[in-house]
Amino acid sequence: MTVRRFLVVSLVLLFAVGLALGQDKIKITFWHAMGGWRVPFIERMVQDFNLTHPWIEVTVEYKGSYTDTLNAALAAARAGAGPHVFHSFEVGTQLLVDSGIIVPLEDLIDKFNLIVPWEDYIDPVLNYYRIGGRLYCMPWNSSNPIVYYNKTIMDKLGIEVPRKPTYSDIYEISKKVVESGLAEYGITWPVHSWFFEQWMAEQGVDLVNNNNGRTGYATEINLLDPAAIRIVEWWKKLYDEGLWVSPGRSWSQARQIFVSGQSAMLISSTSDVTAMENAAVEQGFELGTAFLPVPDGIERHGVIIGGGALWVTKDHPDEELQAAAEFVVWMTQVAQTIRWHQGTGYFPIRKTALKALDMEGWFVRFPNYRTAFDQLIETKLITATQGALMGTFVEARSTILDAVEAVLAGEKGIEEALKEAKALIDQSLQDYKELVGG
Amino acid sequence: MRSKFPSKWLPYLLLLPTLALCAIFLYYPVIQTFRLSTYRAILMGLHRKYVGFENYVRLFTSADYLHSFTITFIFAVGVVVLGLAISLAIALLANHKIRGARIYRLLLIWPYALSPAVAGSIWLFLLNPTAGVVNYFMKALFGISPDWLTDGRLALLAVTIAAMWKNLGYNIVFFLAGLQNLPGEILEAARVDGAGPWTTFWRVTFPLLSPTTFFLLIMNLIYAFFGGFGLIMVMTEGGPNKATNILIFNLYQDAFRFHKWGLAAAQSVILFIMVVALTLIQFRTTGRRVHYGGQ
Repeated sequence: MTVRRFLVVSLVLLFAVGLALGQDKIKITFWHAMGGWRVPFIERMVQDFNLTHPWIEVTVEYKGSYTDTLNAALAAARAGAGPHVFHSFEVGTQLLVDSGIIVPLEDLIDKFNLIVPWEDYIDPVLNYYRIGGRLYCMPWNSSNPIVYYNKTIMDKLGIEVPRKPTYSDIYEISKKVVESGLAEYGITWPVHSWFFEQWMAEQGVDLVNNNNGRTGYATEINLLDPAAIRIVEWWKKLYDEGLWVSPGRSWSQARQIFVSGQSAMLISSTSDVTAMENAAVEQGFELGTAFLPVPDGIERHGVIIGGGALWVTKDHPDEELQAAAEFVVWMTQVAQTIRWHQGTGYFPIRKTALKALDMEGWFVRFPNYRTAFDQLIETKLITATQGALMGTFVEARSTILDAVEAVLAGEKGIEEALKEAKALIDQSLQDYKELVGG
Repeated sequence: MRSKFPSKWLPYLLLLPTLALCAIFLYYPVIQTFRLSTYRAILMGLHRKYVGFENYVRLFTSADYLHSFTITFIFAVGVVVLGLAISLAIALLANHKIRGARIYRLLLIWPYALSPAVAGSIWLFLLNPTAGVVNYFMKALFGISPDWLTDGRLALLAVTIAAMWKNLGYNIVFFLAGLQNLPGEILEAARVDGAGPWTTFWRVTFPLLSPTTFFLLIMNLIYAFFGGFGLIMVMTEGGPNKATNILIFNLYQDAFRFHKWGLAAAQSVILFIMVVALTLIQFRTTGRRVHYGGQ
């Protein structure tokens, strides 16, 4: 009886002590938007952070798509229970800046005197999220688009895919492939506005006015620029001649078409390198990669860094904000970015990480990653490649896609479709400015 | 016979919880929605500006929104008319007393138990242009492989069929129940009088089933207007080029993706009015001819 009582008392005591110790920890929450196998991967990273920071406890939660995560964070923050750190896509940037729920990361870093070796970060990556010279959030999963090709097919046809192809290179190669019958189609990529935006940037043309929305709220989109028309004309030509096959808006469908050998080339995110390497081995073909193609005779300006970033929400006690900032900075430590890159294919956004990977022979083993990096590092720092800021970016993307789909289906002419899309997007931009920018 | 309450306040007291719940979760949000529809608002109403009827004017002068109306109409007619006709036919067959009837009935009701996300994924697999079963047979039989979800008209057809299929189970359950409750003596009298199965169905069974049909008509209409969302979300996201952009999906997109809360509120008011109006019309016209039996 006494033994049992002793046991009970000690258990209760142990529990109480544990509770007390637990309460000493600074508790913060982290919501992210990466599904599938990345969920346990991110959980492991968070566990490691908790292990090395015994006074902080980060709780991680997968919140669904970017849109779902953004909506959940907005709703929670308005109810006073926002996640300390959350993950958002690049196109939500302006909306978040105006949302009043976030605190610029650079403010926190200054306030708490955190040491961040900014000179070691790759500039184009940070640049997207610099607004008015201040860094608003920490780039996390960064990628850009490249061409993947089936080298086995190309070798059979004696085709050497240029490292920096032009629109007509892709057209000619596709034509040869289709004529040879080695693949049903030349090339594919998902019907996604991201590619359109990248091609605008490659041509050095801002997507929207006011220096791509960087010096003031954008009020007009440059859809009638010759650069925009060039893109859609080429796309339509490839489609009409049966060289490009539509996977719809689905990324996985596009990958499947390429992997199964129905198409000889694919344009997709650099974060697919690992997946494509593995698929190529499984399907028994050799994988090659090249830069994103650009229109003929146009100088290459580089790509916009796509992907997502980590944001900190305001209205938390200082110690929690500090913990949140520390967590966000930790996630981009050299060691973490290397691990993140090797595990997911997203860029390590630190120069030291690149060097370390290089020294360890990573690029010799996976030369296809080199393509992605070179393309990023050769990017010129201009507003076009810095990326557009629009409060209504998600809607604009959808409108652009509707226009492209209408053109591809032959329902509308290129200029007609782009003009209609421009009118819709401009209206939204002006409404947004009126509502938010005063 | 009327029952009497001991106190005249008691019935109101008993109704109170229901009324309170309705007020909090139904009437209050509805009023808020009406109010929000007169604002231009983003970010869950963080920034807002009173604009009167601007949202409504914009909607009814927007080619895209009017297009969405047409799409919704086609979708709803397809789902309701085809859905009811096919499920009535299946229910009639399943009503026969044959061996294993119960198993057939169970299997017929099954699709209803699937969530829209699962049903949508199944259809996505079936309709996959290169690896799908449908195109496998299409290619084998006719030598064609249609782009089910990237061609606008085919996509609308595909989501209509999928939405109709998804609701078949529900309709069959009610039709079966209706059929089994039909007064046997009337059917027997019809048979004795020499009516064939065709005449029996149209002159006796169908009129007697009208309460069920009427109920299902309303439920299916509401389903087509609101319930089609999940399937469309999974299968087409309203595309390609808005070909499957039914009103409810347009609303979702404007609210939760584009953050145009005022515009979305106006759309839900319009949907609300439409469904109320349709139900009223149905009660007035079809309702009169419905035979509820009894005295």
